[in-house]
Amino acid sequence: MSPADHQPFQAGFDEIRKAAATRQRAFAEAPVPRIHIGMATCGIASGALETKAAFEQALARHGIDARIHTVGCIGHCYAEPFVIIDHPESGFPPIFYPEVNAGKANMLTKLFLAEGDPRFEHILGATEENDMIPWIGEFSRFNQEKRVVMEKCGHIDPEDIYEYIAAGGYETLPDMFRRSPKEIIQQINDAGLRGRGGAGFATGLKWELAADQPGDAKRVICNADEGDPGAYMDRTILESNPHQVLEGLIACAYAVGAHKAIIYVRAEYPLAVRTITKAIRQASELGLIGNDILGSSFDLDIEVFHGSGAFVCGEETALIRSIEGFRGMPRHRPPYPVERGLWGTPTVINNVKTLASVAPILKNGAAWYRKIGTDNSPGTAIFSIVGDVVHPGLIEIPMGVSLRTLIFDICGGIPNKKKFKAVQIGGPSGGCLPEEFLDTPIDFDSLTEAGAMMGSGGMVVMNEDTCTVDISRYFLDFTQKESCGKCTFCRIGTYHLLTILERITEGKGSPADLKNLAQLSQDIKNGSLCGLGKTAPNPVVTSLRYFKEDYEAHVSEKRCPGMMCRPLIAFYIDLEKCARGCDACVGCCPVEAVFTTRNRKKGIDQSLCVKCGECMVACPPEYDAVRKVSPPELAPIIERPAEPLKDEK
Amino acid sequence: MNFVLDAQEKSLLEQIKTKLPEIGNDRSKLIPVLQLIQAKLAYLPAEAIHVVAAHLDISPSEVYGVATFYNQFRFHPPGKNAVKVCLGTACHVKGGDIILENFERKLEIKEGETTADREFSVDRVACVGCCALAPVIVVGETVHGHMQPSKVEGLVLRARIEKEKQEREKQQK
Amino acid sequence: MVTLSVDASKIEIAAGTNLLAACLQNDIYVPNLCYIEGMDHPPASCRLCFVEIEGKDAPVPACTVEVRHDMAVRTDTPGVRRLQKTALQLLLSVHDVDCKNCPANRNCALQDMAKFLKIALKSKHLDLFLKKSKIDLGHPFLEYYPNRCVLCGRCIYVCRAQQAHTQLTFAKRGFDTVIGFFGNPQSSPPSCDTCRACAEACPVAALLPKP
Repeated sequence: MSPADHQPFQAGFDEIRKAAATRQRAFAEAPVPRIHIGMATCGIASGALETKAAFEQALARHGIDARIHTVGCIGHCYAEPFVIIDHPESGFPPIFYPEVNAGKANMLTKLFLAEGDPRFEHILGATEENDMIPWIGEFSRFNQEKRVVMEKCGHIDPEDIYEYIAAGGYETLPDMFRRSPKEIIQQINDAGLRGRGGAGFATGLKWELAADQPGDAKRVICNADEGDPGAYMDRTILESNPHQVLEGLIACAYAVGAHKAIIYVRAEYPLAVRTITKAIRQASELGLIGNDILGSSFDLDIEVFHGSGAFVCGEETALIRSIEGFRGMPRHRPPYPVERGLWGTPTVINNVKTLASVAPILKNGAAWYRKIGTDNSPGTAIFSIVGDVVHPGLIEIPMGVSLRTLIFDICGGIPNKKKFKAVQIGGPSGGCLPEEFLDTPIDFDSLTEAGAMMGSGGMVVMNEDTCTVDISRYFLDFTQKESCGKCTFCRIGTYHLLTILERITEGKGSPADLKNLAQLSQDIKNGSLCGLGKTAPNPVVTSLRYFKEDYEAHVSEKRCPGMMCRPLIAFYIDLEKCARGCDACVGCCPVEAVFTTRNRKKGIDQSLCVKCGECMVACPPEYDAVRKVSPPELAPIIERPAEPLKDEK
Repeated sequence: MNFVLDAQEKSLLEQIKTKLPEIGNDRSKLIPVLQLIQAKLAYLPAEAIHVVAAHLDISPSEVYGVATFYNQFRFHPPGKNAVKVCLGTACHVKGGDIILENFERKLEIKEGETTADREFSVDRVACVGCCALAPVIVVGETVHGHMQPSKVEGLVLRARIEKEKQEREKQQK
Repeated sequence: MVTLSVDASKIEIAAGTNLLAACLQNDIYVPNLCYIEGMDHPPASCRLCFVEIEGKDAPVPACTVEVRHDMAVRTDTPGVRRLQKTALQLLLSVHDVDCKNCPANRNCALQDMAKFLKIALKSKHLDLFLKKSKIDLGHPFLEYYPNRCVLCGRCIYVCRAQQAHTQLTFAKRGFDTVIGFFGNPQSSPPSCDTCRACAEACPVAALLPKP
């Protein structure tokens, strides 16, 4: 090993790394089974805590010595809570089990850990190639992903910094301190990294602009104020691998010459707040944050700020105002935060995913990063895909993959033999794209051109039973509620858009409303002060462009083609199919709208019905007697019998 | 904002007051201080606004203006069973609004309100990030996935029975 | 000094001047509400003072631009007018157009701009949304009329310039935003009773001294 003076900053780090390796070896070489459990928020919501407790109790009961290893989220939400059991003695490779509840945990402990039977019927796959069990690397949900940002998510314990270091974490620091900040910026520029917060601004350029400002009272902020109602990748990264974000943040601060950094994370993400706070403490204890990091004489202090829940605070200038203790209302730019930001000092604000991309670039080089993705959008994109797909979850793919590949290959397509109708990309700022766009490559520019937006990376896949007017109404309801109220167009304009959409979904819209929607959307786009207002009409604009027929059906026929808009639908019971004396629908109706009619068959009182659809779910499939129709007039009228009928019973 | 503080809340507020000096009093501490108070009291009573204003040497109006901007802060006490119905995109598509309506109907309150007996409150939240479990609600800290309108009644009933049981036990003691 | 052209006129003015101020000082009217001369960072929130500047592809609010030498500005293009008309119509769609009973009648920024932009005070194609509460008497010395208020923030700006402990603030958020007060008579500074700067700054008589 080279002496410290030849490799400055290396010696201190090597010592830390050695400690990490020793711990790792102790864990890896212990001759006992290892049970990895995903314990991010989504895993816990699915019952991972109960699963973990069940394993602990069962292991104690059977007297088995095994290690329970809590890891973050692997991104396979459909499989939560997931467990990977590595039982070397059994002769099987590590096995991935989906949906392991307490019962399954008991069973696996007894049958697999104690008796060596892996219970093939419960296996999703093996995590290594082998001859016995299909390898998950052969499944398209796994092998078409390219993990750069989320590489270690779900594999390491996020609460143990040594695991990150043993997996190669913080390795870039000694080398970085040997180079000048200019060289670091150059490398990020060469890699072509673009901001993952949505707009895709060149990260290197942003750093350069801040670095060029005089003085050293500069600040860097990690923006984890994820507010899109359907995107949760930032939370997942903070919960599953916080140190990769910190490593990027240190590089960013070093490059721009800042000694203060803030992580702005939503208070609604308690686990993420806890994990990142703990990570900062651990990194400080090892001297990777604080004064004179690794003897480089570079100081950096990192704080966590809890965002109080305002979508608009994802906007840079609003975020700054809220840290300063004011209402988070955006300000006109210029001046840009890189010139005059937090407390008037040059401030770089980067998204979680952007910062998490930095360490891999510094480690593997700009050329390596350039090989992933497309020319204009190098690297990977992370989407949270929800809605009508077989395998929802978080997916990291190289930029340039088509929507079709993503939805149909990787996510397994649309369940229940339904047809694809639309995909909504980018949340409240994004747009709804129809089937014609399925071959669009996913990158910043192509999506913007199609009228959607990379945005937050939220993606909702919708089948033929979806109403695009209702989806637009939903997003406008969100942006309208989250508008800060500062500028006229956003404050009042989005309210008008919403009321018009509400009118249409209630069947009270007119052709003039459609014209108004289009014009107002245009003006709000052009006239609003900040990004929230400028993009708020996107869901309306795109759905009006690609799904005009949906709007027209609502307006001229008072019909909802996706049968989602409740004022425009009705449920009725097909008396031909209804079975006598079955009371399933009666029992589940929350408003007692279902009544018994002649022959002890059932009818629905339309004046009471709230159209929740419970009866349709409750009706046994062998009868399948509940029908949903639009417009509501199509439902045959079944009169509620006069009182005496009840007495007959 | 005319809830009267009970003795316990008053003493909590006094406790908080003694802690404030160590937090510091520059303007940027406004939101952290409000968060601290809400963490202890579960809401921001009018008295608290005045305490914060005095501590930071700004007008109560200023504190109120900031507090009313953010979704996190509430001005009336939540119920013992604080129900949050997720209306994120995935939950919306799967009928989250129907779940919300069911709570409103069952509890006879509107979203954002608390029942007169302070047992329940119902709020909507933008997204709790458990989209694959949609529709989702959170009661206290517990996430309930794959909700159905018919499950709403069960939840409410269970909480009420639980309460009655506790009261009976109290009486027996 | 720099020279720039605004519509047909040539203007000579100190470098660094705000473009909106430059126009207004030279008697070129550009509709505006929230701007007050001397503001360090104008809020640019009313979205009325749009102009087109040669070289920029979309209209920009004049209050956000500093004059530059040889700048060519147009204040009356169709793009500018469309945005101004929509902005004003939006403001009027939440405004109680009850001019007869309003002290600002004939001395009202909204009336002036509607006349200038040739639009009706009552819109045909936008619904009218009024807040339930007509008047807020919470402030010890002021009456506040939420259905007149255009939320330009001038009152807050001038109050802050006079008082360290301003009683005026934006409260709530989004469509529900109002000018809010919180406190009691004791907590307002004694000078508040006589100052009146906020009421004088209000362009629409939404803030009036209590009789």
